[in-house]
Amino acid sequence: MLTLEDVAVVRGGTRVLDGVSCTFAAGRCTAVAGPSGAGKSTLLRLLDRLEEPTSGRVLLHDRPLPSYDVLEVRRRVGLVQQAPVLLADTVLADLRVGRAALAPDEALELLDRVGLADQPLDRATASLSGGEAQRLCLARALVVGPEVLLLDEPTSALDAVAAQAVERVVRALVQDGLTAVLVSHDLRQASRLADDVVVLRGGRVEETGPAADSRYLAGAS
Amino acid sequence: MSPSVPSWYGVAASVVLVLVAYAVVVREGLGLGREVLVSAVRAAVQLLAVGALLLLLFRHTGLPGALAWVAAMVVLAGRVAGGRAKGLPGATRVATLGIGAGVAATVGLLLVARVIDTSGRVVVPVGGMVVTGAMQGASLTLQRIRDEAASGRRQVEARLALGLGSREAFAPHLRTALRTALIPAVDGTKVVGVISLPGATVGLLLAGVDPLTAIRYQVVVMYMLLGAAAVAAVVAGRLALRELFDDAHRLRA
Repeated sequence: MLTLEDVAVVRGGTRVLDGVSCTFAAGRCTAVAGPSGAGKSTLLRLLDRLEEPTSGRVLLHDRPLPSYDVLEVRRRVGLVQQAPVLLADTVLADLRVGRAALAPDEALELLDRVGLADQPLDRATASLSGGEAQRLCLARALVVGPEVLLLDEPTSALDAVAAQAVERVVRALVQDGLTAVLVSHDLRQASRLADDVVVLRGGRVEETGPAADSRYLAGAS
Repeated sequence: MSPSVPSWYGVAASVVLVLVAYAVVVREGLGLGREVLVSAVRAAVQLLAVGALLLLLFRHTGLPGALAWVAAMVVLAGRVAGGRAKGLPGATRVATLGIGAGVAATVGLLLVARVIDTSGRVVVPVGGMVVTGAMQGASLTLQRIRDEAASGRRQVEARLALGLGSREAFAPHLRTALRTALIPAVDGTKVVGVISLPGATVGLLLAGVDPLTAIRYQVVVMYMLLGAAAVAAVVAGRLALRELFDDAHRLRA
């Protein structure tokens, strides 16, 4: 579904990514793993066109990303950031940033999908716990109906219990057919969630394939 | 023109006040003695030069000369406001265009509606006040936009990631910037006459104009300052957004 072909990103004279080629298959969760500074987050931002490769191509359904309208790309490829970013005062208003005409029924359905079914729509976002806020961000990313969800260390700012809740949601979404790309420095989490893995080191691909066969992930268990 | 205007002898006598200031800073060891003298001389030279230039302008060039003078002030104000928003791409150009729009709209309206006279004696000082108001509006807007773009980067990117365009993604931040920029002009309009007696009124009163006439002028001045600040802030803000984002709706680094 999403493919990188010989992608390089050079920033301030440093090659953040260098000759990266890999594929993110539809309906699967692919973990992008590797040590800090390996270029994981940059790779993720390329998939949403929040950054542009210096050379090489990024393809969505075999078409280069720049051939799509960039706003359409971002609706088809959603992003959840590292720490929860709330954009409005109430739960419903926050979800409506994605789609102003979102009906309350639809909002409740989305909250149900992320395990927040019991939350009133007029609850103040400021009163949400970290885990609840991150799941609200997941629900907001789903508002625009993406095919792919990019998750940039989505649990790194959360405690263990909250992280488990987010993981459950991600697993359920992938089971429902969504494609997920998960950047994580937590190898155990990557092993638990991912079907496939792309391991980066120093901006280059060190390993790709099924997560179950990964030597890098095996090092964690 | 009026007995209340100081003679050249009076101006010379006021030099005593500079000496008082000099004596104070030297006595207190503030290390500002030289600066006090230099700034006093500088002010006198600058004002004399401006006075001579205005004399030339008023007598010989008419409206085109006055407008050229105002345009030069816009360019200068654009540099000042742009300098305040260092770090924002194209700040000086954006500030100059914003201030220019605010001044053109306000002074243009005043001239077309014949609220003010077309003589240089009127257009230059009125233009100067409008440029100052517009500069404040544009400067505050751009500074705040720069700060919002830095501190609100994650929020902006979260909106962009939802497929919102750059304008929509930055809209709440632009609103904050414009509000911040316009508060001084709005507050100034609120308290005028009660707390502050602005320069235009003071000048007219000193020149012997009766208070009701001076106030009439001041009402026009306040409204035009409000209008100039609003137009300059909005135009500078909108133009700044174009500089802040690239064609692919991405915040420039």
